[in-house]
Amino acid sequence: MSKQLLQGNQAIALAAEVAGMAFFSGYPITPASEIINDLVNRKQIKVLQMEDEISSIATVIGASLAGLKAMTATSGPGFSLMQENIGLAHMMEVPLVIVNVQRVGPSTGMPTLPAQGDIIQCIHGSHGDYFPIVFYPNSVAELYTHTITAFNAAEESLSPVILLSDAFISHLYETITPQSDFPIKNRERPPLGSGSRHFTGLSHDNSLPKTSDADNYRKLITRLREKQLITAQQYNYYEYRECRNETDTLLISYGALSRIAYYFKNEFSLFRPILMFPILGDLKRIALQYKKIIVMEMNTGQYAGEIERILHREVTLLPVLGGRISLEEIKNALSGVVTK
Amino acid sequence: MGNNVTKDVQFKRYLKLELLPTPWCPGCGNGIVLKTICQAFYEINFPLQGTVVISGIGCAGRSAGFFNLDSVHTTHGRAVPVAEGIKYANEKLNVVVVSGDGDLMGIGGNHLLHAIRRNTNITVICFANEIYGMTGGQVSPITPKGVKTLTTPEGNPDNPIDIQHLFVGNKSFFARTSAYHLSHMKKCIIAALQFNGFSFVEARTMCIVNYGRRLGYKNSNAMLNHYKETYKINDNAEELAPNEIGILKGNFQADEQLYQ
Ligand SMILES: Cc1ncc(C[n+]2csc(CCOP(=O)(O)OP(=O)(O)O)c2C)c(N)n1
Ligand code: SF4
Repeated sequence: MSKQLLQGNQAIALAAEVAGMAFFSGYPITPASEIINDLVNRKQIKVLQMEDEISSIATVIGASLAGLKAMTATSGPGFSLMQENIGLAHMMEVPLVIVNVQRVGPSTGMPTLPAQGDIIQCIHGSHGDYFPIVFYPNSVAELYTHTITAFNAAEESLSPVILLSDAFISHLYETITPQSDFPIKNRERPPLGSGSRHFTGLSHDNSLPKTSDADNYRKLITRLREKQLITAQQYNYYEYRECRNETDTLLISYGALSRIAYYFKNEFSLFRPILMFPILGDLKRIALQYKKIIVMEMNTGQYAGEIERILHREVTLLPVLGGRISLEEIKNALSGVVTK
Repeated sequence: MGNNVTKDVQFKRYLKLELLPTPWCPGCGNGIVLKTICQAFYEINFPLQGTVVISGIGCAGRSAGFFNLDSVHTTHGRAVPVAEGIKYANEKLNVVVVSGDGDLMGIGGNHLLHAIRRNTNITVICFANEIYGMTGGQVSPITPKGVKTLTTPEGNPDNPIDIQHLFVGNKSFFARTSAYHLSHMKKCIIAALQFNGFSFVEARTMCIVNYGRRLGYKNSNAMLNHYKETYKINDNAEELAPNEIGILKGNFQADEQLYQ
């Protein structure tokens, strides 16, 4: 494909089609609406506007079980509504992609402004233990690439994969050259209507519900978790920029905010996860080389908390709240935490 | 007669007999509805491959796992949109939802409203026992006014929903039937399955343990007797009175001979 000027959300729509998505279902919400608005014009794709986000993800689950690659897209309020069925899709092992273009919350918050407040919700929003794969690109080109990654990871893991974005990168226009020669992973499981399988959200062994068998439950959860880790290893994307000057500080950021982190590349080493979850060993290995770790994010320390848990050490928080990304403010805040 | 005996055995191919018994209480009406659905499948020769059953959560919802075909047991109230996703993804599939009245009309009520509007070509069979059976007997959207349940100890203060009104003036199919009127139930289900559009069968059935017993019914036969005495069949009705069962007018669309 030739060069195109695309909005982030349009890049997601285009990439979904390239990845082989044949079904989309959603409910309008700022700042994700451009995805459904764009997709309705792609004739190969069945697009439904549902009555809410609960039915959006429910139809996507149904369509996926029926054999189609399927996706939904939303923002925080809708993502909250989807949580119960996200757990269902993990339990029933249904591949699908959920795009969450984050805006400022909680509640209706600041609908047009970017935030990164749904990080923990991605992994703990539904009840019970489950182990989602989550990607978070930081440019229009990456939204394109990693929409395809997300579909591949979903097929590989047979699980709902989350593609995070935010109001900033989803509404950003950049020139990209969309590639179409990616490896595309296709469905192996036969579609509904071809067997006598029972898909259930109850704890189960194959098609059999097992509602009071602890051993079976433990086996099931272990298998589901391992499957996610094995898939994640194959899509272990991150960006690590070692500072060319002497530094003992690693600055971690992601999504929209990581774009401003590049301004500090001569002062700190930079780490940017693209695979947000599960957090794999590379971050641990890299972090060992630094005395100080700063996590800059558009929330009050959600990813920082996860990193502390994984590294068993304290990190410095740098919250950037309310949708305002100001270089001046961040410079000041950084010099504040560095001299501390 | 001989023919009937064969039929009686044949419908069983739609069930995973090895999984029986069901988890339902003795005297529960769910088994009657499950069996009648299978008989309807058999009579119109629904293919095992190519038919999918979807359910929500509740006692009735557990029936999905007993069908000898691909089935999906979803979350509480979401069977209809999951089924719609399946149907829109593959129009060739026969898509049938089986679930309770609380699941379909309570927590899932909004989806039902919109599935009727979209007239999605699926069939919903509601095991309408007027109560939340699985959770112990709380009031449901169709519990009659004045009836005492765990959560309406003074009697239900509200009027029940009469779901047929959502269908009036719509292109979709509605029928009400009861577990006493077995051939009528089968006829309604067959008509619904053959209907080209959204079809809903409200099958009144007994929850003896968490409902009937508390209302003073000795056993589920007494509840069946109540259906027998209460319900008059009025097929092709403009509107069904509370004491009527039947198929709403305009809904006879398929091969009428089959279900006369
Ligand atoms: C979101 C959610 N809320 C509540 C429940 C608990 N729950 C399970 S079944 C049920 C009611 C079922 O009633 P109905 O649909 O009438 O089916 P029945 O058990 O009577 O067949 C409820 C409230 C649940 N599983 N999920
Ligand atoms: S509680 Fe009621 S609906 Fe549930 S199995 Fe028992 S009798 Fe049937």
